[in-house]
Amino acid sequence: MSEFKIVGKPIPREDARAKAKGELKYADDFSLPGMLYGKVLHSKYPAAKIISIDTTKAKQLPGVHAVLTARDVPHNETITRFGQSAEVGKGFEGLYRVLADKKVRFRGEAVALVAADTEEIAEEAAALIEVNYEPLPGVFDPVEAMKPGAYLVGEGDSNIICKFGCSQGDIKKGFAEAEVIIEDTYQVPFVDHAYLETEGGVAWIDEKEVINIRVGSQVIEHFRDVAEVLGLPHNQVRYIGTMMGGGFGGKEDITVETYLALLTWKTKKPVRLFYTREESILCHSKRHPFIMHYKVGAKKDGRLVALEAELISDAGAYPYLSPWVNLYATVNAAGPYCIPNVKINTYCVLTNNTFTSANRGFGAPQPNVAYESLMDELAYKLKIDPLEIRRKNCITTGKSLSTTGQVFNTYVALPEVAEKAWKALGETKKVEDKNKRIGRGLAIGLMSYGRMTFLHDTSRCYVRLESDGSVLIRSGIPDLGGGQVSLLCQIAAEELGVPMSKIRIYYSDTALTPLAGTTTATRQTYMSGNATLKAAREIKKRIIQKAAEMMNVNPEKLVIGEEKIIVKYDSAQYLPLLEVIKACNTEGIELFCEAQFKGPFTMVPDLSNIRGTIFPDFTFGAQAVEISVDIETGQVEVLKLVTCYDVGKAINPLSVEGQMEGGSIYGMGYALMEEVVMEKGVTLTPSFSEYIIPTAADVPEVEAILVESGGGLGPYGAKGIGEPSCSIIAPAILNAIYDAVGVRIKSLPATPEKIIRALKKHYFEGR
Amino acid sequence: MSTSRLLTQEFEYFAPHTLKEALDLLYKYKDEEVKILAGGTDLLVKMKTLDMKIDYLINLKEIPELKAVETNNQGLKIGATVPLSQLERREIIKEKYPALYEGIKSMAAIAIRNMATLPGNICNASPAGDTIPPLMVYEAQLRIVSKEGERLVPVEDFLRGVGETIIRKEELVSQVIIPAPPSNSGSAFSKKSRVKADIAKINLAIWLEREGKTCKDARIVLGSVFIKALRAKRAEGLLKGEMVSKELLTQVARQAAEEIKPIDDVRSTAEYRTTLARVMVEDTLKLAWERAGGELEG
Ligand SMILES: Cc1cc2nc3c(=O)[nH]c(=O)nc-3n(C[C@H](O)[C@H](O)[C@H](O)COP(=O)(O)OP(=O)(O)OC[C@H]3O[C@@H](n4cnc5c(N)ncnc54)[C@H](O)[C@@H]3O)c2cc1C
Repeated sequence: MSEFKIVGKPIPREDARAKAKGELKYADDFSLPGMLYGKVLHSKYPAAKIISIDTTKAKQLPGVHAVLTARDVPHNETITRFGQSAEVGKGFEGLYRVLADKKVRFRGEAVALVAADTEEIAEEAAALIEVNYEPLPGVFDPVEAMKPGAYLVGEGDSNIICKFGCSQGDIKKGFAEAEVIIEDTYQVPFVDHAYLETEGGVAWIDEKEVINIRVGSQVIEHFRDVAEVLGLPHNQVRYIGTMMGGGFGGKEDITVETYLALLTWKTKKPVRLFYTREESILCHSKRHPFIMHYKVGAKKDGRLVALEAELISDAGAYPYLSPWVNLYATVNAAGPYCIPNVKINTYCVLTNNTFTSANRGFGAPQPNVAYESLMDELAYKLKIDPLEIRRKNCITTGKSLSTTGQVFNTYVALPEVAEKAWKALGETKKVEDKNKRIGRGLAIGLMSYGRMTFLHDTSRCYVRLESDGSVLIRSGIPDLGGGQVSLLCQIAAEELGVPMSKIRIYYSDTALTPLAGTTTATRQTYMSGNATLKAAREIKKRIIQKAAEMMNVNPEKLVIGEEKIIVKYDSAQYLPLLEVIKACNTEGIELFCEAQFKGPFTMVPDLSNIRGTIFPDFTFGAQAVEISVDIETGQVEVLKLVTCYDVGKAINPLSVEGQMEGGSIYGMGYALMEEVVMEKGVTLTPSFSEYIIPTAADVPEVEAILVESGGGLGPYGAKGIGEPSCSIIAPAILNAIYDAVGVRIKSLPATPEKIIRALKKHYFEGR
Repeated sequence: MSTSRLLTQEFEYFAPHTLKEALDLLYKYKDEEVKILAGGTDLLVKMKTLDMKIDYLINLKEIPELKAVETNNQGLKIGATVPLSQLERREIIKEKYPALYEGIKSMAAIAIRNMATLPGNICNASPAGDTIPPLMVYEAQLRIVSKEGERLVPVEDFLRGVGETIIRKEELVSQVIIPAPPSNSGSAFSKKSRVKADIAKINLAIWLEREGKTCKDARIVLGSVFIKALRAKRAEGLLKGEMVSKELLTQVARQAAEEIKPIDDVRSTAEYRTTLARVMVEDTLKLAWERAGGELEG
């Protein structure tokens, strides 16, 4: 590929200036005259029958405009979707219930909605709603919930939402051949997305009777789902997405949009509704806890011969995206290893806990904790170096995924990233304190980017070259703060040979911007990047064609750059871009284009044995850490953290590094401290004084190593990095703890309390 | 559901400019729901998230006489509304009262310390308050004033339990008085928390007075291990008048860990706190002893 001018350069992002100056208008920075304030009344029980709801007193309170219950919702029960347009059948679609009806399934479930003149009145009115509950026993442990006769969370006859499997080879034969077998159970907890910006927005009805919802959402395609709840045509609901203060999967499901739409529809006034931090933690989705039972068999030389795993995940009270998350977990369950005999079974179970759904990594981080701990265990048992055992077993170019059999024909960077990450730890740090033990850990992994191929994913983008040489882009792309919007600008600037300052972009509007699909599944660089590339290249082709005519040279001889059309090898010969634009405009040549990019399409797989191509491609990475563990306090300090991924091509290296560093810290919190503690469905960690995440002061030295193989499916060979970046660090830290003090923590988070307890046990039992 | 976004209740707000005015107001409303506001970093959180009825709120931050810090060779007198971030910048605190300096530095982030005050931390009476163990080991006293007079109360006697103190509704704390420590003494603070800016799992302060190789006097106070900051008196007893050695410090630390009465909560477990207390007391004893000019043998 030729030299890049803008792509691949560490340049300031399109949104950087407004954010730095505090000028960007997030969802919360917006109001309308006469706006009402919405409030949700949440269930106080995790499991209860609703005997009656009396809204009389609430409605009588001066300043209250609406009090709504399930009865007021035109279609209170629909289906959870996440923006897909292909039919995928029953296996994946769960019940989406707007307001609790007859029965509540979790503490924090929405029971009623209020709109009032002020937030204070709304709050007071919510407290005046009299809900008569009859508490029910509920079930809070997925293993209990799976048993016959268990309390039924929903209306169905089983709490099991889905059961997936995949296998290859002959598992019995595999274990018979094994010379060493290790078996263990690993557990990971509920965690919160903990974005800076909680869920919220403002809705109003315009003069065309369209419900406009200005909201932070990763999936603006939910306008269709909201329309269905209200029984309105799809084109009567419009999402205007804002730049987000973080999404991490938490804004992938509908959050408050249906509530906003209902309240504005009933009152005919603008309504604003924002979750408090407590509501965000108590009432919205969490990452799935998993119980993972693994058995792995190997030869004495470390070669893997068999892997069997049973994964049970807690869906909480409603399915939301649980089936999808479990599909990811199933496909990822055997990790990035070549194993001839594999058998995976995954169960996803309803309980009366807060519901779980998408969270950065989407089912990939959980099994990674299990299999990378096991690989480490195996390495110690067989006295093989942690890098060596991974090198020996990992997938390489041309090999296939051991769960689905999907073959990798492009470069598989696993050996390279593993070596680079491990080497980058450098010299062992010296510590003075005699109680502090140094340890190192390595983990590798893979995660898909782009949606499951049977979802038939597409994205669109509109690009227009203005008569003065400026560029306008319209894309439905939602930006979570990851730089999604800026990326499209960079691609258009590169292709059309104009500086970033000449690009203007309109994004995330279901009425006015071409739908770009969801900012989920680490798909936007790949999907919308390609759509933008396609649109921009189409315009470029027309410009070059025209310039070639004007200069009387072969179009192949021309390149575009610095607002000029230049003859290759003779930069003195050129035409200013502006002149070519003028000529095109005079002749009516279209300098705009809306292009669609299509991912590969496949059929819905057999869910009992998922085989074949499920994802377009994967990103491969490795993480290594050096830590110290205080043997007297159990305190872990991460001294150095290395993150190394093959990102294909870093379109903006600063953004990519930002993702890799941020992802590492996200995963470090998972490893060491984060846990939404639920006791019989009651959240004991409802705010940031109980739910602890790493602060800036806790961030260690992070080294991000970018491998750029150019082998990705995205523009210029880019791969996705957003989710993969957080999916591997946790086991690297667990492995380092083992290396430092000889105890293996098998349930996250690895708190000092757990480490000390394990150390005492280790000491007394002599292991 | 509690909400951290809203201050829903209505109350009357006063920002008096003299101490007298403030005391008159407190006296006037002493039989009503009246509250003092200093930095507000505890109070506002509580007003938003707990069912707390307040009819009158009196802000002390506009009163010039409460903003002063007086130093002389007797010690330090700190006005009630001096923000913690100002205290941490004073050389004298860093030099003479290192446990207090370290306690303040360990608290929250700078934004909070720019608002928060010492009396706020004490009157809030959290078992985990980070300035309390240091103030207790320095034998700090509170000047408590009301319209009718004033009294001096040691911090140790001021606290009664979780959120409970002996202050009366017509009173306020106007000053924190910390005596000058003798020259042969040393002190230190230690804290363990889940992340850097966090409430303590355990905090503690130790003050030792040295006479040659002997520990003449000792004060050991631990926080977050009981309903209020706890003095490990038997541990202190093991030290007083004894020749200091590594073995002795280990023994003292064991004793301190036996005296505490921790519980399981969201931040930690009783079991872990006991382990931690022993380790932290031992390390902090060593540091305080070194700071007192002592050496350790054996
Ligand atoms: C994010 C955050 C982090 C925190 N981290 C820590 C931490 O790490 N360690 C820690 O110890 N604390 C911490 N706190 C708690 C708090 O900041 C401290 O307790 C602080 O010292 C309180 O001081 P203030 O001036 O803000 O008190 P205020 O909130 O103004 O008052 C607290 C209480 O004291 C009373 N009061 C205040 N001044 C007087 C007076 N002069 N006379 C009589 N009564 C008075 C008030 O009426 C109220 O009841 C944290 C708080 C927040 C919000």
